[in-house]
Amino acid sequence: MDALTGRGLIRDDEVFLRMNRVERIQHILLIVSFTLLVVTGLPLLFYELRLFNAVFSYGRVFYIRGVVHRAAAVLLIVDIFWHFGTTILTARGRENFRELIPRPKDALDAIALFGYNVGISGWLYRKGVLRRFFDRHPFWKFEHPPEYGRYNFIEKLEYLAVAWGSLVMIASGFFMWKVELSLRLFPLWLHDIFVIVHGYEAMLAFLAIIIWHMYNVHLNPEVFPMSRIWLDGKITGHQLKTLHALEYRKIEDERRRALEASAAAAGPDPAAPYQL
Amino acid sequence: MRRAGVWAVLALPAVLIGLGNAPSLAGQPPDDDCLVCHSDPDLKSGQGLPRYVDGAGFSASVHGAAGISCVDCHADLAGFSDFPHAETLRPVACASCHDAAAVAIGASAHGRPHDGPMPFAVHCKDCHGTHEILSHEDGASRTFALNIPDTCTSCHLDRVRTTRGPGFVGLYLESVHFRALSKAGLSLAATCVSCHGGHDVRPVDDPGSRVARPAIIATCGGCHAGIERDYLEGVHGKAYVKGAMEVPVCTDCHTEHDIRSPSDLGSVVYATKVAAVCARCHDDEGLARQYGLLTSRLKTYASSFHGMASKSGETRVANCSSCHGHHDIRPSTDPRSSINAANMAATCGVCHPGAGANFSKGRIHVVSERTENRWAYTVKLVYLVVIGGLISVFLAFIAADLYRRLRARWTR
Repeated sequence: MDALTGRGLIRDDEVFLRMNRVERIQHILLIVSFTLLVVTGLPLLFYELRLFNAVFSYGRVFYIRGVVHRAAAVLLIVDIFWHFGTTILTARGRENFRELIPRPKDALDAIALFGYNVGISGWLYRKGVLRRFFDRHPFWKFEHPPEYGRYNFIEKLEYLAVAWGSLVMIASGFFMWKVELSLRLFPLWLHDIFVIVHGYEAMLAFLAIIIWHMYNVHLNPEVFPMSRIWLDGKITGHQLKTLHALEYRKIEDERRRALEASAAAAGPDPAAPYQL
Repeated sequence: MRRAGVWAVLALPAVLIGLGNAPSLAGQPPDDDCLVCHSDPDLKSGQGLPRYVDGAGFSASVHGAAGISCVDCHADLAGFSDFPHAETLRPVACASCHDAAAVAIGASAHGRPHDGPMPFAVHCKDCHGTHEILSHEDGASRTFALNIPDTCTSCHLDRVRTTRGPGFVGLYLESVHFRALSKAGLSLAATCVSCHGGHDVRPVDDPGSRVARPAIIATCGGCHAGIERDYLEGVHGKAYVKGAMEVPVCTDCHTEHDIRSPSDLGSVVYATKVAAVCARCHDDEGLARQYGLLTSRLKTYASSFHGMASKSGETRVANCSSCHGHHDIRPSTDPRSSINAANMAATCGVCHPGAGANFSKGRIHVVSERTENRWAYTVKLVYLVVIGGLISVFLAFIAADLYRRLRARWTR
């Protein structure tokens, strides 16, 4: 019976691999380079603060700051190219990338999650306000939280933000590093825009990480004090069921089909280890 | 003896007087008579003041060498024979021979009693000494170039206060001029008298002073002739010649006494400190209105990478003078200006070789992006909207998430 409904095909304590070792190393390199870049770069946006003046005026700190910033930039670029390689060249990379492509469902998920969290639609429905509208369009009732695939809209947004931000930062930063080349190619007013873009994009990236990513992987009561996926790459069947329900059901379906196929062929035990 | 020729001319009137009053002719007491008593090192006046005269020192002095005798200066003892003489003699009148110097002194700061609680008149001997006066070219003279700072600072270091407050004169001892004098032994380096004059030293607020605004350029130019020429060709010099009172002269940027090499960390024109010096006028709204200057020069520089790095002590980045020059600063409309559009490639190319003419296609000191770089303004605006919008959405999602969790806890 279990085999037919799928129930019991995935144990709650079964361990799935969400980030493999290469992905975890890439993520750690991203953390290291991003942190170094923020620490050595962002203070320049607040050049008037006495704290930064005091630190930067000490010895050759300002010069070293620049060297570290560019070294971290090179590290980031290497990391990104490595990630490019694994994304294009491995089946798992290509599969992950397909899963990361934003779809209309993601926008609806965002609305649904917000609506579900606020809960005002349900309250209105219970009060009898707009009941006919809600009956005709049950989506807007936000009765249940949205169900996500391997990557929810938050994770997709973060991934795409990193991709876009890195592109902008590397391009503008490259021309700030090679001022002479930049001004051989572009007028000064355009170079000035590179500088402006580099600063504002940095601010955006920093705020996004500090507020959005830190909440989602650290402070969110669901995972507090910290999701450990970035360290061991593991996610349990239970977590998969609650956080990535569509992915969970997809695995269930695959296992059921395999079970049915093996039952039909009376083949060997299908409970082979499954890797996400 | 070494410079007897020179001194024979200078001391000619004195010699003539000396000869005219020769003891054999007028029965005056010879110097030896004076030294009978005054060679005693323990000789004291009734008030306990030493009355010893170093006979050998006097003989070696310019006056002794010129054959001037005691009573030529101590004139009230001329013809006196009934020794010992009175305790108090009339002060020596150097002016009887040195009339040109006396006139100069009379009009100088030293010629009139100083104002203030302790009026203080300066006499010739206070600078030149008494019996052992030597030529100012003699290395042992109190007025020899290398000794001038000691001579002047014996009063001016702290005993005599100027309006600029205590320690103002002492700053000279930190200057590149004094260093050249004392360390390198350059007797041509500027001493007090090089700028202030000797006998005709006047307060700075006296229009006749050599260090007052109308004369300071020529005074410094006395040695720094090339810099004077550059300055007078520049925008500051041209305004100075026209009599603009606010235009900077040498001392406004380099200070008065504490003049140091630009490579000296303590110099006010050290690479990282130049901006503050220029900004005193070029960020001043009043001067900007009066002379039609552009403002916010320091603000716009400080927000640039050059400004940030410079403030952090980086000396290799551009400061004001890297681009604008220093003594012969010219307006950008001048074809010879380093910041004329045609010269930007060369000026910026000093540090950014090969960057070329694109440097002139844009503004350096951008005060308002709205009017000076529309695209930059648009980009900034878009970013502000995007950052504000995205962060608001993030915070709203976080708030909604926390709200649901709290609500679940309340209803449970």
